[in-house]
Amino acid sequence: MDEIVTLAHGAGGKQTSELIDRIFKARFSNPYFTADDAAVLPAEKGKIAFTTDGFIVSPYEFPGGNIGKLSVCGTVNDLACMGAKPLYLSCAFVIEEGFPIKKLEQIAAAMAKTAEEAGVRIVAGDTKVAGKGQVDHIFITTTGIGRILEGANTSGARARPGDAVIVTGDIGRHGCAVLLARDDFGIDADVTSDCAPLWGTVEKLFETTKDIHVIRDATRGGVGTVLYEIAGQSGVGIRLDAEKIPVAGEVSGVCGMLGLEPLYLACEGRLVVFAPKKAASAIVETLRRCPYSKNAAVIGEVASDPPGKVIMKTAIGSQTLLPQPGGELLPRIC
Amino acid sequence: MMCVGISAKVVSVDKDTALIDISGAKRTVSADLIRDLEPGDYVMVHAGTAIAKITDSDVGETKKIMETL
Amino acid sequence: MENRKLSAKEIIESYRGRHLRIMEVCGTHTHEIFRLGIRKILPEAVELISGPGCPVCVTPVGFIDEAVMLALDRSAAICTFGDLVRVPGTEMSLAGARSKGATIKMVYSPLDAVAYAQEHPDRNVVFLAVGFETTTPAACLAAKKAKAAGLGNFSLLVANKTMPNAYRVLKDSTDAFLYPGHVNAIAGTAVCEQLVKEGVSGVVAGFTANELLTALAVVIELSKKGKPFFRNCYPRVVKPEGNVPARELMNEVMEPCDAEWRGLGVIKASGLKLRAPYRDLDARLRFSLPKITGRSNPACRCGDVLQGKCRPSDCSLFGAGCTPGHPVGACMVSNEGACSAYYQYGGNFNG
Repeated sequence: MDEIVTLAHGAGGKQTSELIDRIFKARFSNPYFTADDAAVLPAEKGKIAFTTDGFIVSPYEFPGGNIGKLSVCGTVNDLACMGAKPLYLSCAFVIEEGFPIKKLEQIAAAMAKTAEEAGVRIVAGDTKVAGKGQVDHIFITTTGIGRILEGANTSGARARPGDAVIVTGDIGRHGCAVLLARDDFGIDADVTSDCAPLWGTVEKLFETTKDIHVIRDATRGGVGTVLYEIAGQSGVGIRLDAEKIPVAGEVSGVCGMLGLEPLYLACEGRLVVFAPKKAASAIVETLRRCPYSKNAAVIGEVASDPPGKVIMKTAIGSQTLLPQPGGELLPRIC
Repeated sequence: MMCVGISAKVVSVDKDTALIDISGAKRTVSADLIRDLEPGDYVMVHAGTAIAKITDSDVGETKKIMETL
Repeated sequence: MENRKLSAKEIIESYRGRHLRIMEVCGTHTHEIFRLGIRKILPEAVELISGPGCPVCVTPVGFIDEAVMLALDRSAAICTFGDLVRVPGTEMSLAGARSKGATIKMVYSPLDAVAYAQEHPDRNVVFLAVGFETTTPAACLAAKKAKAAGLGNFSLLVANKTMPNAYRVLKDSTDAFLYPGHVNAIAGTAVCEQLVKEGVSGVVAGFTANELLTALAVVIELSKKGKPFFRNCYPRVVKPEGNVPARELMNEVMEPCDAEWRGLGVIKASGLKLRAPYRDLDARLRFSLPKITGRSNPACRCGDVLQGKCRPSDCSLFGAGCTPGHPVGACMVSNEGACSAYYQYGGNFNG
């Protein structure tokens, strides 16, 4: 077979089928994977969660993963945030003419591995090839369906005064890793993306307690952006303790050098969880026993005021407003 | 951002440049403006240049100043 | 009875003396003081004023116009600190010029601009040199290295400034200065000692929470004594003699000249220009730039803000037409500007 993707591979004929068979079908194999126009799936009882995400991260490979892994994690985690067990995924590829087949294989392999870990099946897909320069290497869109756990009811509007604010690990790793992979600024730092599938973690969380008010995936814009969204949606104030926020040394060093705020750097495997304070230590204990949340920590709490704002307790024990997220600092981070 | 100064540990010195380390993030900066820089020294770095040799901790420094009041 | 000494924080919080104006003149101080919540603990009697400490903010509008002209009319590739990219010029900012096809490259250090010129021998490359004594040595280093390498395509648009005469111009606006720690790391403390003799008080302050609280406590305590004072509260970085190699380098490459400060007008001997042996690296001469006097929005009060004459929130545009996303004046664009700090941190605690 060829070494690069050509326009013929996207034309819908024999070469398209060969590409799909060799690259995708071989790896995504499961009883529902379809060669028909649509996958046919058994009906589910209860409520269904449904979500979609596009992935245009540049560069498409970075320490800790690639765009394939990211595309599965992103959608799996969005479902998980609703308390939904991810069941099925579709994936649509738009590939630039000339893209190396070998890289496509690596991307597909990463998707398969991540999907298997998350317990989700990739059942449908599409492949288009655009001319050189019409798309930047490869873009992927994944859409996912999940079944919401009985009793799970999470929403950005459900944060309540008295809730603990918990983050599942050290922040800003994905944004930092991609930034360094893209334009090294002459900085040498061992930072890997935190990109990870989190349904397993969320499942364990709901085994600990069903009374979880908000679970949100901190992606573009980081934890800080998520906190402002939730403060706004729920009409509450959030009070953080700056000293309690986990940040890896290298991320902190890079941010210091570049004048960046770790709270606004993207994550791709970090959840922000709001739950009643009395459940906080049990939740943190559960998280710390899961593979991707060993540094989980309570970083603050919800108050009734000031509504819609995030306040930080500073190093001197005083208070300051966390500046609201500004314009897009870092394009194409996921 | 231009005016942020940050304190860094010197890992190695090579003529007029120094490799500095800030919590594990490393970068080469100009050492043209500091004489007698040694690995293990701490420097204040600003716009890619080491501008002063420093002691890293502010605690001893501020304690002494408060005692003079 | 308390027989332990009060901490710096306690001294500040408990001050009930006469009204005390303290002016900080450093963009990083402006932001750190907000970020650490120091403004929140200041008592009524202490007024903390943000002065002209942000080099981008005090650079006149015409400088941006010169840079835009170099980029668009003279096809120069502009290398600049990120802070300058969105500052509005009379017609447009550098970001605006970029959208019209100009090459505007953000650099972290002036030496990166020299490297860029070496990598692009087919382009004329101009580095936008702004900054006070902290940043100027790096620009001088860049000029010296470019000249030594015979780099014919590199030049600088110079608007560097020095602080001492600015303190003199502002001395009646404040009871004491918080001197910028890193400017003094280069310049040393001789000027501060001299200023005491002229009746101007101040302390050199560092940047950690400890250092800032200590410096403020020292100002409060020493001001009680009723006579001009100076104390170096950042001795781990600032030595009395400063950074001698840096000053020798600055002196070799640049010399003093009068300079226009946005809002303060022309301050004698407060600017720097390239000395004769380096004049071939002066972009204004190389590209025969006409004299440009920029125009800013008449409602913009950056000038008053920079002198500490009004608070950012007193400007009618603040938060209305002028926000970090859509800035009208430099004080809002620059991450170090007073208006940007007030806006981002919800403003207005104590001054």
